Amino acid sequence: MEEVMIQAAHVSMRFYRELNEANSVKERLVRMWKGERQVVEVKALNDVSFTIGKGEIVGIIGVNGSGKSTLLKLIAGVLPPTQGHLLVDHDKVQLLTLGTGFDHELTGRENIYLNGAISGYSRSFLDAHVDAILSFAQLQEAADAKVRTYSSGMVSRLAFAIATAGRAAEILILDEVLSVGDLFFRRKSEARIREMIRSGSTVLIVSHAPAVIRSLCTRVLWLRQGELIMDGPPDQVCTAYERIGKEMSG
Amino acid sequence: MHQNNDRRQQWFILQELVVRELKRRYARSYLGVLWSVLHPLLSMMILSFIFSSMFQRSIENYPIYYLSGYLIWQTFSVATTHALSALADNRALLLKARLSPSLLVTARVATAFVNLGYSLIAYVVMLAVFGVGVHVRMLTAFFLFALLFLFTLGISYLLSCVYVFFGDIKHLYAVFLTLWMYCSAIFYPASQLEGLIRTVVHINPLFCFIDALRGIVLSGQLPDAGAFGVLVLWSVGALIVGRWVFQRSHREIVLRL
Repeated sequence: MEEVMIQAAHVSMRFYRELNEANSVKERLVRMWKGERQVVEVKALNDVSFTIGKGEIVGIIGVNGSGKSTLLKLIAGVLPPTQGHLLVDHDKVQLLTLGTGFDHELTGRENIYLNGAISGYSRSFLDAHVDAILSFAQLQEAADAKVRTYSSGMVSRLAFAIATAGRAAEILILDEVLSVGDLFFRRKSEARIREMIRSGSTVLIVSHAPAVIRSLCTRVLWLRQGELIMDGPPDQVCTAYERIGKEMSG
Repeated sequence: MHQNNDRRQQWFILQELVVRELKRRYARSYLGVLWSVLHPLLSMMILSFIFSSMFQRSIENYPIYYLSGYLIWQTFSVATTHALSALADNRALLLKARLSPSLLVTARVATAFVNLGYSLIAYVVMLAVFGVGVHVRMLTAFFLFALLFLFTLGISYLLSCVYVFFGDIKHLYAVFLTLWMYCSAIFYPASQLEGLIRTVVHINPLFCFIDALRGIVLSGQLPDAGAFGVLVLWSVGALIVGRWVFQRSHREIVLRL
């Protein structure tokens, strides 16, 4: 078998959420005094196991709250799992999400440096690529305007351009980034993603649009209420997912 | 390329974060960073106007006496107040990028110390104006500022953790800062205090810093071994405790954000 890039063995993630969580010292004291601290356990992920090999393009589908983003955070290393083992080299992971912490008071160009630094690009890399990033995002004219004045389309174009500026990471996670911008930009960004895929990256694509997943992925995981309920070829899983969707809405 | 743990990259991120804080802070003012110079001068003028005749006998060079206290106090209080919400303000960054949260706190503290750097320009000019001779020993003040940085950073770590869980610490801390300021002998002579308040002021770490700076600048005296030891103890102690709490609560913070 090919090289294993991500291996999840019985991974669970639990949060303890207080009902009506106390946000202040006063409130918490009052609650403790009255003995009314209700703690609820939320299972964001429950006993999820899978193995992803090098070069696989894996889609993850599921409705909101099904545990998709929790799974991504675990893989990216933002959070450690409560239970189970997750084998992945966090340094190889690049997580692409939209609207990640742009500073709206800074200009587009300044944000490229700030965001780029945090994404792991060096200063010399950014100096060399800042123009390419701006032109890919079609923002040459707005480069020195504050991000506050950008439209949401412009913001997501900039985010996409920064995130994909470098050499593709070995493990690339795309969190709902493929359905942004107008038709023209969407084509361009899909082409960019395909290019990264061809360079041998292992890719995880999260979306609730099955169409995107069908066209790109080689395999699909379906999460529902924190459980992995299906793992198979895109057509099969997407068809089942769509069928459930129709049943629930109709 | 994704060696976020690489020291050089951390340093680059820190620089970018500080630049961002500075730009943000002066985004809507014409004079921009010049305010860091003007603010201490203006407040020195006001306080001198009001108090210098009152404290003429006990304080030799009131404007410089005040300015020394003000610089240390202002740096500390601005740094900690801004660092308090550093984690909460950058929620999106923390949850989506694998960024070391301590960098965000450090950046806010560092920003305040960059401002201190600008304010020192005003300070040196005022030393000349009020006839305080500049001497080589004054360079030890930079060592003092380095210790102050560690102390401030430690307190900031603590506050930023607590703030994630209890939003109203912000208001409590603002009130506490007022009390702390009055206990730091910034604009009144410390020598006239008696009894309990004297003890409180002399235990107060910020007063220790202020007192050391005044000693160095106004009478050319370096702090003695005891005073120096106290400063190091406060700084290193605050940093260790702050860092420890920060690291221990890292997981809960991410979950809570």
